[in-house]
Amino acid sequence: MIDVNQYLGIFLEESREHLQALNRCVLDLEHEPSDLHILDEIFRSAHTIKGMSATMGYAEIAELTHEMENVLDLLRKGTLTAHTDIIDTLFQCVDRLEQLVEEVANGQTGGVDVSALSAKLASLARREIAPPTEMKKPVSVADSAPSTASRMSLNDTETEMVRTAISQGLQVFELTIGLRQGTLLKSVRAYMAMKALDEMGDVLKTDPVVEDLEKDNFGQEFSVLLVTDNTSEKIQETILSIAEIEKVTVIPFSPSISTITESIKDKASIIAESSATMGPADKGREQKTDPGAAKNKGHALLRVDAEKLDSLLNLVGELVINKTRLQQIGLSHQLQELSEAIEQMDRVTTDLQSVVMKLRMVPVSQVFNRFPRMVRDLSHSLGKEINLIIQGEETELDRTVIDEIGDPLVHLLRNSIDHGIEKMEDRTAAGKNPVGEVRLIARHEGNNVLLMVTDDGKGMKTDVIKQKALEKGLVTKAELDIMDDNDIMKLIFLPGFSTADTVTDVSGRGVGMDAVRTKIEALGGVLELDSTSGQGTRVRIRLPLTLAIIQALLVQVHEETYAIPLGSIDSTINITPEDIRTIQQKEVILLRGQIIPLVRLARSLGVQTAAGFGEGQELYVVIVQAGDHKIGLLVDALVGQQEIVIKSLGKILRGIRQIAGATILGDGQVVLILDVNALG
Amino acid sequence: MADNEKVSDELKLIIFKLGREEYGMDILKVQEIKRMMGITRVPSTPSFIKGVINLRGSVLPVIDLRTRLGLSETDLTEAARIIVVLVNEGIIGFIVDEVVEVTTVNTRDVETAQTLSGGLSAEYISGIAKADTRLYIMLNPDAIV
Repeated sequence: MIDVNQYLGIFLEESREHLQALNRCVLDLEHEPSDLHILDEIFRSAHTIKGMSATMGYAEIAELTHEMENVLDLLRKGTLTAHTDIIDTLFQCVDRLEQLVEEVANGQTGGVDVSALSAKLASLARREIAPPTEMKKPVSVADSAPSTASRMSLNDTETEMVRTAISQGLQVFELTIGLRQGTLLKSVRAYMAMKALDEMGDVLKTDPVVEDLEKDNFGQEFSVLLVTDNTSEKIQETILSIAEIEKVTVIPFSPSISTITESIKDKASIIAESSATMGPADKGREQKTDPGAAKNKGHALLRVDAEKLDSLLNLVGELVINKTRLQQIGLSHQLQELSEAIEQMDRVTTDLQSVVMKLRMVPVSQVFNRFPRMVRDLSHSLGKEINLIIQGEETELDRTVIDEIGDPLVHLLRNSIDHGIEKMEDRTAAGKNPVGEVRLIARHEGNNVLLMVTDDGKGMKTDVIKQKALEKGLVTKAELDIMDDNDIMKLIFLPGFSTADTVTDVSGRGVGMDAVRTKIEALGGVLELDSTSGQGTRVRIRLPLTLAIIQALLVQVHEETYAIPLGSIDSTINITPEDIRTIQQKEVILLRGQIIPLVRLARSLGVQTAAGFGEGQELYVVIVQAGDHKIGLLVDALVGQQEIVIKSLGKILRGIRQIAGATILGDGQVVLILDVNALG
Repeated sequence: MADNEKVSDELKLIIFKLGREEYGMDILKVQEIKRMMGITRVPSTPSFIKGVINLRGSVLPVIDLRTRLGLSETDLTEAARIIVVLVNEGIIGFIVDEVVEVTTVNTRDVETAQTLSGGLSAEYISGIAKADTRLYIMLNPDAIV
């Protein structure tokens, strides 16, 4: 038992990963019921879970996955088509498996019954086993090409070699060589084929590896990646001349994943033509990289404890601080040699830092993955039809941000689906496509990552918001009267605000947008919302790429130094006291014709100052983006731009509004980082 | 058994001065003692929080014990130190006028704080320790933070 426990962590983690993959793939399958590639992936995941759980002694999981395999196998062979009933059953299986895995995680057993589901799977498998359909061998291309395309996965070096070969005008072919059924000396035939290929060009890779080929350790087929200047016909001819080789396919190979995906797509469309059961094409799919292809990058992966990465990052942070310190020493003593050495070190630390940061970066797909299933279930239960379009799921974000961003996004999506998208009748009446559209988009924008949730629903009506806010006593009538539409829109961020007419289990518990905004701001992000009545709502979340090391502008406020994250700075300008005007007793300045509220940092930070400015005295204003508007921060001097390592102020000083954190400069001085959103 | 009791009976205290009074704190909570260094003021905090310091790369808050305990403020001398203490909420520094010594007292010689009347808020005090002729006011760092 102790033996097994040792592997429990790995089992749980891998199972969860595979379950997530299953969820995603079954969803894909629902849209493309005959895509062999998706089926293969589902099969692989189910099979892995089955193997692991059997080894670990979790009989229920093994049993259920075994039954799933049976059904999946029939689907793969084409004797069974993935109709709604099967998809639903598969989803139920995934749910049940999730429960079982969580049971294992919590150390419980026996709370989940799988016999009913197993029986259902078994009956599904039996029912359709008899009549073989015309699906058996639709088109020969579909039969061989995609399976080989998915077979070859290249590592970086190999990809590079392929690229180089192509750039030199050589051809790269992927060959699938099939031996005759019952061939006795498979390894000999393989050897002969390899020898012939060697004479015609360079063999980059074989699948299975050469050692396995030599040991007869393969089925009837093997694949070879060949760089050559011969034509595909020539190769085909040569190989077929070898005894007991039954067939060979030669297809040009391209290293980019997109082409692999394309070939799979082509095949999918071929099958689609021959199959009447094909559902409507999912537009969102166009944007996605094929899951299998992405997985097939073939890098060796290593599981690392996140804590180790954190401590590595801390150490690199220390290194950066010390490097800055050395730089200052080198400068102040004007030691040429030292400066040169530091320059080298600077390069290395910069590289090291970016590598460590990259280690912590994970694609947002980790969070996005669970949404299609959620949206499917939600829209079913609400009786709405919704097309979820996900874009840019390969965009990477720091792990700490990824961990935190899930809940806010769930909230926003739920809001869109529950409150935003109208019922189908209403949509038709309004002249809209009855199928609602919700987009979830991630992309880079400068030093930020932009996450967007948009829907083409009914949008937000300011009248409704006004009324709700009044009812809940969040604002007074007088306050409302002086608000513009933009201000009114912001009311939904107030704690306790919820616009749903009825409280559903989906959303509308009144914790919504206020919690979302708090979370995003805690992550150093900005949330913007705009909505057009009748046309939809768009929520934009701008997040910093990383929370650990940022570029900042250091400013002087009398005796004190503060850091302002460069990401939120719009510009810096010089003014004189005469440029400061007052509107409604508030100080403002004009920037390119725009009125910008002025915040005297010394005042809002409580810095001891000698009062007043001299006439014509030069003042510095840092224009920053605070939420959706700009403000000007009045400072005494600009010290310079620097890379800073963000440190937490700790529990005791947590929750100081204007301060986002602290950093340590090269001279050891602690400098506070301003939270510009809180200064506005 | 008797030996065990003997060990647990002993209490090692770090003794420091605030004004003329001597205070003690359980040495097991003390991480290190630093000379005064540059303190960065943090806005919008209570006056007893002097700011934050850099302790080998981590940022930690520093509390002025005099202000915190309601004693009169005086200028710090060369002898002033920052005692770095581990409390429930994390690591924190206490500014004291002077660190005197480390001493051992017997738990039998510690009286509970209730018997003491005076200006100091009793919740900060975990007891009064007697050693020879001297009296130490024992502080409870967790309550102070």
